[in-house]
Amino acid sequence: MTTYIIRRLLYTIPIVLGVLLLTFVLFTVAGGDISLEIAGKGATQQTIDEIRQGYGLNKPLFFSWDSQFVNHFKNALTFDFGRARDREPVIDKIKRGVGPSLALTVPIFLGVVIISVGLSLIVAFVRGTVWDVLAVVICVAGMSVPYLSFILFGQYFLAYKWGLFPVFFSPDLSMARNVALPVLIGIAAGLGGNLRFYRTVMLDEMQNDYVRTAFAKGLTTRRVLFKHVLKNAMIPIITRVVLAIPFLFLGSLLLERFFGISGLGYLMVEAIGARDYFVIGAMTYVSAILFVVFNLITDICYVLIDPRVCLE
Amino acid sequence: MIELPKGRSLLKDGLRRLLKRKLATVCLVVIAAYFLLAGFIYLAEFFDWQIGPTLWQEQAGESYAPPSSKNIFGTDIFGQSVLRKTLYGAKISITVALCASLVSIAIGVPLGAIGGYFRGFIDEIIVWLYSTLSSIPYILLILAFAVVLRERSILGHKLTGITAVYLAIGLTSWVGICRLIRGEVIKHKDRDYVLAAVSYGCSRRRIIFRHLLPNVFHIVIIDFSLRFVAFIHAEVILSFLGLGEANRPSWGAMINDARMELSRGVWWQMAAATAAIFIISLALNIFGDALRDSLDPKLRTV
Amino acid sequence: MDNNSILLSVRNLSTHFFTAEGVVKAVQEVGFSIKKGQTFALVGESRCGKSTTALSIMRLVPSPQGKIIGGQIIFEGRNLLALSEKQMRAVRGNRIAMIFQEPMTSLNPVFTLGNQIAEAIKLHQKKRTRKAWAGAVEMLGKVGIADAAQRAREYPHQMSGGMRQRVMIAMAVSCRPALLIADEPTTALDAIVQAQILDLLDEQQKQNGMSILLITHNLGIVAQRADDVAVMYASRIVEVGDSQRLFAEPLHPYTRGLIYSLCVERDASCEKARFQSLTTHYALRRTKLIPGAVPEPLHFPAGCKFHPRCPTGYRDKRCQTFEPELKEVGPGRCVACWYAPGYE
Repeated sequence: MTTYIIRRLLYTIPIVLGVLLLTFVLFTVAGGDISLEIAGKGATQQTIDEIRQGYGLNKPLFFSWDSQFVNHFKNALTFDFGRARDREPVIDKIKRGVGPSLALTVPIFLGVVIISVGLSLIVAFVRGTVWDVLAVVICVAGMSVPYLSFILFGQYFLAYKWGLFPVFFSPDLSMARNVALPVLIGIAAGLGGNLRFYRTVMLDEMQNDYVRTAFAKGLTTRRVLFKHVLKNAMIPIITRVVLAIPFLFLGSLLLERFFGISGLGYLMVEAIGARDYFVIGAMTYVSAILFVVFNLITDICYVLIDPRVCLE
Repeated sequence: MIELPKGRSLLKDGLRRLLKRKLATVCLVVIAAYFLLAGFIYLAEFFDWQIGPTLWQEQAGESYAPPSSKNIFGTDIFGQSVLRKTLYGAKISITVALCASLVSIAIGVPLGAIGGYFRGFIDEIIVWLYSTLSSIPYILLILAFAVVLRERSILGHKLTGITAVYLAIGLTSWVGICRLIRGEVIKHKDRDYVLAAVSYGCSRRRIIFRHLLPNVFHIVIIDFSLRFVAFIHAEVILSFLGLGEANRPSWGAMINDARMELSRGVWWQMAAATAAIFIISLALNIFGDALRDSLDPKLRTV
Repeated sequence: MDNNSILLSVRNLSTHFFTAEGVVKAVQEVGFSIKKGQTFALVGESRCGKSTTALSIMRLVPSPQGKIIGGQIIFEGRNLLALSEKQMRAVRGNRIAMIFQEPMTSLNPVFTLGNQIAEAIKLHQKKRTRKAWAGAVEMLGKVGIADAAQRAREYPHQMSGGMRQRVMIAMAVSCRPALLIADEPTTALDAIVQAQILDLLDEQQKQNGMSILLITHNLGIVAQRADDVAVMYASRIVEVGDSQRLFAEPLHPYTRGLIYSLCVERDASCEKARFQSLTTHYALRRTKLIPGAVPEPLHFPAGCKFHPRCPTGYRDKRCQTFEPELKEVGPGRCVACWYAPGYE
């Protein structure tokens, strides 16, 4: 097992390198010389040069030990993301934003997973009946409404018109009160696609021959679903669930913006507006690392659940 | 006389069964209607016809007039007809989604097929490439690309906002279809019909294009229809974030405007845009599902 | 035929599938009887309705498209089609068990073999886990798997095809059912293993006094192992009889066609008496294929379903218009053909 983990970790190195290369190319090479932008209009050549020196932009791009890319790489390894446009260290911004983001995304995630997996089992139970059709219709309808509309509808009716929730983030209220509505909206918007996916997984599993054998042994439908089908269905379910976790850390761009919650999503949107490549680059890198880590965790989970997976 | 059953190709058979389902046919009609509308607007702009949607800029009523017999969907802040704007928005959304789809298919399918068929080093490179891209969250990636591409020029041609958007979406979305195609090609590569083709001397290019791709192409079609929806929705989000068509009405921009309007009780612009998106998404989703059911040989009951 | 010796009696069974393309009449008015302790073979080509008949007896027809629309299945004094689902569950795996064609996919890949067999024992014999597991290991030993205690802890993918089928059989007979339905049990296995599995089934039958409903398209197996045979064609039974007489004197043109299409070589080294009588009878005939193809379920021909391919029937007005019923033409012999000797 340990050799497997080590081997997989080794395999992730080229990927991380790839991400670093991509962010580097995107922001430093294709993004152009930002020292001009930082200096602002009407700056003297001297100011611009100073800025360039300060950001290390006068060094060669790739081919030297002290090149920009090497520095980029070194900084990434030590998680030294430098400072943002407003001179605050990027790492501090990130640390500040994680909490609010998680307070939002974790409840949404848990809500969506528990409800959709549970419902998918029930729907598999009643497959073919009118309830199944109704569930599918609701899912497809939910998937067809743009996310933004969900947010706007929710914000308008539940908060603005009917006053059930605060319209915007308010420091006077508790965190729970502040995120209640966005969480609700997030769950509602996320249910459609997820429920449909898990339902398909369950139904696909039910097509398998071993289900027929299980019924032929005289087992009840409930037992067949919860014991035989669920364990096999766990493989695609776990894939989807675990791979969604890295994205929790990024917060929800839209929800945070609309409700004024200052998490990482909000940070991201601001950074885009301000063309703050340092922040964007740092966040991209962090999320890539998380993604890679959770991919590995998914693989380990496979091994634990599916006896067919052998560690070569 | 004894009648032997006639042979039917998988696609034709699938199409036949698809059209027999009334719901799928209705959805196809709806989708076609949207495409025709978009095409019509292009034509109208090219020939400078002054009718309907192309006149979206014209003042059709007072500012923020609610829906009435004069303007079925009311007017926006400038008094422009929301109906006309909604119709015009179809052109933008369809174009974005179509271009992005074509770009991602053009990149994803060949890469997937080559990687899947040849394996070895070239496959490792392709897998590395898409693993790297998919490690970065979709929205971040699109945003990153869009921001960077916005001020650039390609081959001397300056990229406007919306073109950058198509390109960004296409350049980041090829990963999904590439993975799918690669998986299928790997599965099919060891099948007997490929072995048979090799044994009578088929060139590798012929095997990939003439034998393998037609057998895996149904996946492209299904993925296309489902991804189209995702692209339309992505346009909405990108408009909200300020990257998108600035001077023309798009559904995303209309919903974006609604943020301010709703607090003033002006709901019709958002309702119209949401409804327009909802209908085409619904049609595409249902159609995509029906397509998958008819083209999947395993699901055949007879 | 005294009624005490009949275990299962199928009468007028009809099962239809309601698909988007139309109603598929998979099984139509099928009737036959299985005696206690005997092997009954249901023979026919692919897609003729044999598996659906078997699934109908177990009431495992895939719904909602599939539905048993008529008939009776009398087993141990009760009509299975009239039982509640709860009562039927007590029958499945317990009084009637079933094994399937593909042992790899028919076993749950994520549970151990011992677990899967013990599950059936726990359910029907109400034993505790430890006792059930011991029972499972014992069953594995009985079906000829060496090192049973170790094997019970392994998973299906670690076994060969033949061994998996043995496990399926162990699972099925663990509760000593009165009837075992074997749906093409050896089709997916290679020849040597096929014989081993069939021997195993014979053994189990002798030990437990179990009846076997053997579903197959392989006439060779039928000739060797079956006591009684029913031949199915396009959703109907066309001939029933005990296997020796059926092979010696096939009454229905389809049965005749099937038998004549086998190339049977005289094999002096073969020991089984039944097989030898077959070879002496047919050794000198050349093979003759039945012209045409099996009709599509959605486009069954009018009248007798076999008439387009029948040397007598394809020109005959009566065969083209009226479907012959399955009628008894002798003790234990039924046939559905207007021109069969003894018919009406």
